Amino acid sequence: MTDAISISNAQLRFGETVALDGVSLSIRRGTCFGIVGESGSGKTTLMRAILGLQRLDHGEIRILCNPLVHSRAALKQRAGFIQPIFQDPAASLSPRSRIRTLMNEVGTVLREPHAATRERLGVILNRLGLPPGVIDKYPHEISGGQARRVAIARALLMKPSILIADEPTAGLDVSVQGDLLNLLQDIRRSDNITLVVISHNLAIVRLIAENAVVMRAGKVVEGGEIGSLFGSPQEVYTRDLLAAWPSIRAANTKR
Amino acid sequence: MAISLRNLSVDYSLQQGTAHALRGVSLEIQEGEMLGLVGESGSGKSTVALALMGLLANNAQVTSGTATIEGKNFDLTKRNATAALRGRGMAMIFQDPMLSLNPVFTIGAQLCEVLRRRAPGSDRKTRVEMAQDALAKVKLSNPARRMNQYPHELSGGMRQRVVIAMALLSEPALLIADEPTTALDVTVEAQIMREIIGLRDRIGCAVLLITHSLGLVTEYCDAISVLYAGEKLESGTVEEVQRQPGHPYTRMLFDCEVPIDRQRHADASENRFTVIAGELPDPRLRPPGCIFNSRCDVSFEDCTTINPSDYPVRNDAGHSARCLRLRTP
Amino acid sequence: MSGFFATLKRIGSERDGRLGLAFTFAILVFALIRPLVSPDPNAIDIKARFAAPGLAHLLGTDNLGRDLAARTSVGTRYALTLAVMIVVISSIIGSLIGIVAGIAGGWVDRAVTAVFDIVNAFPPLILAFALIALYGKGSATFVLLVTVVFIPQFGRMARARAQTLRNLSFIEAERMLAVHPVTIVVRHYLPNVAGPIIVLASMNLPVVIAFEASLSFLGFGVQPPKSSLGTLIKDGFVSINQSWWPTVAAALVLAIATLGATLLGEALRRIIDPKSTGAR
Repeated sequence: MTDAISISNAQLRFGETVALDGVSLSIRRGTCFGIVGESGSGKTTLMRAILGLQRLDHGEIRILCNPLVHSRAALKQRAGFIQPIFQDPAASLSPRSRIRTLMNEVGTVLREPHAATRERLGVILNRLGLPPGVIDKYPHEISGGQARRVAIARALLMKPSILIADEPTAGLDVSVQGDLLNLLQDIRRSDNITLVVISHNLAIVRLIAENAVVMRAGKVVEGGEIGSLFGSPQEVYTRDLLAAWPSIRAANTKR
Repeated sequence: MAISLRNLSVDYSLQQGTAHALRGVSLEIQEGEMLGLVGESGSGKSTVALALMGLLANNAQVTSGTATIEGKNFDLTKRNATAALRGRGMAMIFQDPMLSLNPVFTIGAQLCEVLRRRAPGSDRKTRVEMAQDALAKVKLSNPARRMNQYPHELSGGMRQRVVIAMALLSEPALLIADEPTTALDVTVEAQIMREIIGLRDRIGCAVLLITHSLGLVTEYCDAISVLYAGEKLESGTVEEVQRQPGHPYTRMLFDCEVPIDRQRHADASENRFTVIAGELPDPRLRPPGCIFNSRCDVSFEDCTTINPSDYPVRNDAGHSARCLRLRTP
Repeated sequence: MSGFFATLKRIGSERDGRLGLAFTFAILVFALIRPLVSPDPNAIDIKARFAAPGLAHLLGTDNLGRDLAARTSVGTRYALTLAVMIVVISSIIGSLIGIVAGIAGGWVDRAVTAVFDIVNAFPPLILAFALIALYGKGSATFVLLVTVVFIPQFGRMARARAQTLRNLSFIEAERMLAVHPVTIVVRHYLPNVAGPIIVLASMNLPVVIAFEASLSFLGFGVQPPKSSLGTLIKDGFVSINQSWWPTVAAALVLAIATLGATLLGEALRRIIDPKSTGAR
C-alpha cells in the first residue's frame, strides 16, 4: 500500500525558535493517523506545512507520492487530494458570502457545471444531516454545529482522498464532540479517506486513530501502532502525558 | 465552617428578552473540601462564580440568593453584597491569569499588596519574605528572581502559579477556581491542580472548582454538583455520583467522557463515541416539567408536566438528584 | 436596500446621529433644490451689488451683484460632488492597493508602505502646492491630487485588515480549495475590509470638504467662473469691509456640511465598528 503522506526530515525555524526539528513520518493510505502533542510541540505547524501553507527550511513532503511544490498549478492539483478541517470549522466559512456561493466556488475550481455541483452537494448535505435550505443562508445564520458540517461538506465536495482535522473537538462540549468524531469516522470508512487528526486529546486519538505520533518541541518523540504506543509507551514523555490526562478510568465505571 | 449558597437565580436582560441563566441553584461546600461544579457551555456555571464574587455584568440581575461564608450571611440580590470578602474571605482563579494580574507591576509588588491588606501591621521586609515563601510553596522555580519579573515574562502555567500564591497569601475561606487549567497543557494542568489541592490543605479553605471536565472532577474533587441549563440536577460525593448517577443527564455525561484507557477496537465501526442528542432549551422560556426532559432517554409522561424536586439517591443523605424516577411512591 | 434603511434607522436612534442626518439632509436639499428655483448664479447685476438678504436675493449679492444664494448652492453642490468623488476614488484605490500589499507581504508590502510614508510625510497642503506647480490648476488636477493625498489612509487601513484576514481560517480555506486569487480578493477580502473603510470614508468626507475649501480659498482649487465654498469665502473675504454676508453665508454652509458629515460618520462608526472607541 502506498503512502498518503510522507515527510522526511522536515525542519523549520521561526527566528530563534525551532518549530520543526527533523520530523519524519509516513501515513498509509486509507488509515486514520493521529498527531498528538502539547502546545508548542509543532503539530499545527506540521499540518500547515503539509497543506502548503507554510514553507519548510529543509526536508521534503510528499502527498500521494508527489513532492509538495509551492506553485498555483500544484496547489490546484493538490486541492483535489487533500483538504483541511480547521480548528474552528465555523470560522472557515467566509462570513459575508452565502453558503450557496461558497459551494459554487468549489464547482468553479473543478470546472464543473453548477447543476452537477448542486446534485453532488445535495447528496453530501443529506448524508451530513443538513437541511437543503442551509445553502441559502449566511454562515452567521446557522448554528455552530451546522456550520461545522457545512465546512466539512465543502471539503468533501472537492472529493479529497486525504482529510486533515486540526483539533476537531477543541471548544466542544463532551455531549456533542462525539457526534463530529463519529461523522469523521463514517466518512473515512465509506469514502476510503485517509484521515489525519491533530489533537491534544489523547483519549480521542486513542480511539479514532490506527497509528499515531507524539510530538514535543518540534520532534517526534515516539510513534507507532496506537495500541502499543499508548498501551506500553517506551518514552518517559509519552508516559507522563498519559498519566497527566485527567480522565475517568474505564476500569472504575461499572457499565 | 461550611460554605453555602442557597437558591441563587440570575437573569440576563438581552435584546431578545430575559434569559434565566440560573434558577434556584444551591450548593454546599465543607471546609477543606473541593466541590466540582460541572456543566457544559450554557449551563450557567461561570455565572455562579461571578454572582458570588459580585462581578456580574451590568445586564445581569440576581433575583434571589443568599450565601453563608465564614458564618456570615450575605444577600446576593444586593449589589456588592460580598465586596467586603473580596481578597480576604474569597479568592478567585480565572481561566486567564492575566485577569488577576496587573501587567505594569512586578510579581513581588502584587503579592506584597495582597499582604498589606491582609496583615496591615507587618513591615516591608517580612512581607517580601512571606511573598517569596508563597512563591516557593506553589513550586515556582527561582522565586527570588520571579519577585522582580513582570507577568508577561512568565508562561501561562507560571502565571497561574502566581495567582495561586496570591490566593495562598490572602488565606480565603472560599477559593473559586473557574476553569483554572482550560488554557493549559495536560502536564501543566496536573501540576496546577496539585498546587490548588496543596493550597486547600495548607489553609483548609473550601474550593469551588468550576469546570466542563468530568475527568478533572473525578480525579481531584471530593464532591460534585451537576449543572444543566441553569439548574442543578444532581449533587453528591464524587464516588457515589460516579458509581450510581441519580440523574440520567449525569449518567449520559459520564458516558460521553472518553476514558484514556479505553482500547481501540480493530473493527473501526466499534469505536463509536457517545453523544447526547438534542439541544439546550431556550433560556428565556423554560419548558414545564423536567428541564432535561427533551433529551432524556428514560423520560415518561410525568416528566413533561412535573418539575422534579430534589430526591435522595439510595437513601444517601449527601447524594440527591432531581429526577422523577427517584420519587418514592 | 433594507440594510441601508436599517442603518439609517439605527443612526437616527441616537441624538448625534439624528443631528448629523438633519444637517446632511439640509445641506443636500440646499445643494440640489436651490438651483432649480433661484436665479442664474452667474448673472451680473451691478446695480444690486452688495445687496442685503431679502426677498429678491435670499442671501444677498456679491460685489458684482450675483445672487449669493444661488452661488452658494452651486458652490455647495460642486464641493460635495468633488468631495464624494475624491473619497470614493481614493477609498477604492486605497483598499485595493492596501489589500494587495497586505496579502503579498515581502518587498511589495515594503514598497507600498514606503510610498504611503512619503506621501504622508508632506503636509497635505504643501504636497498639493507641489502637484499644482507640476501639473497646473484645474478641476481634474485638483481631484487627482486630493485623491493621492487621501489614498494612504485607506491603504493603511485596508492593509492592516488584510494582514489580519490573511491568517484567518476562512481565507486559508479558500486558498486550500484553490479558488482563484482574484475571486478571493473580490469576494472574501473586499467585503470584510469594507466596513472600516466605509467608516473611514464617511469620516474623511468633511476633511475633504474642508481641504477643498482651503485650497480654493488660497486660489489653487476650483477656478472661476465656477464657484465652490472656498472661492465664495475668498471672494467675500476680499470685500468684507463692504459686506460680511457672503463670507458668513458660505462659511456657515461649510460648517454645517462638515459638522453633519462628521456626526454621521461617527454614528456610522459606532454601528459598523462598535468595538473601537476611536476619538470622540
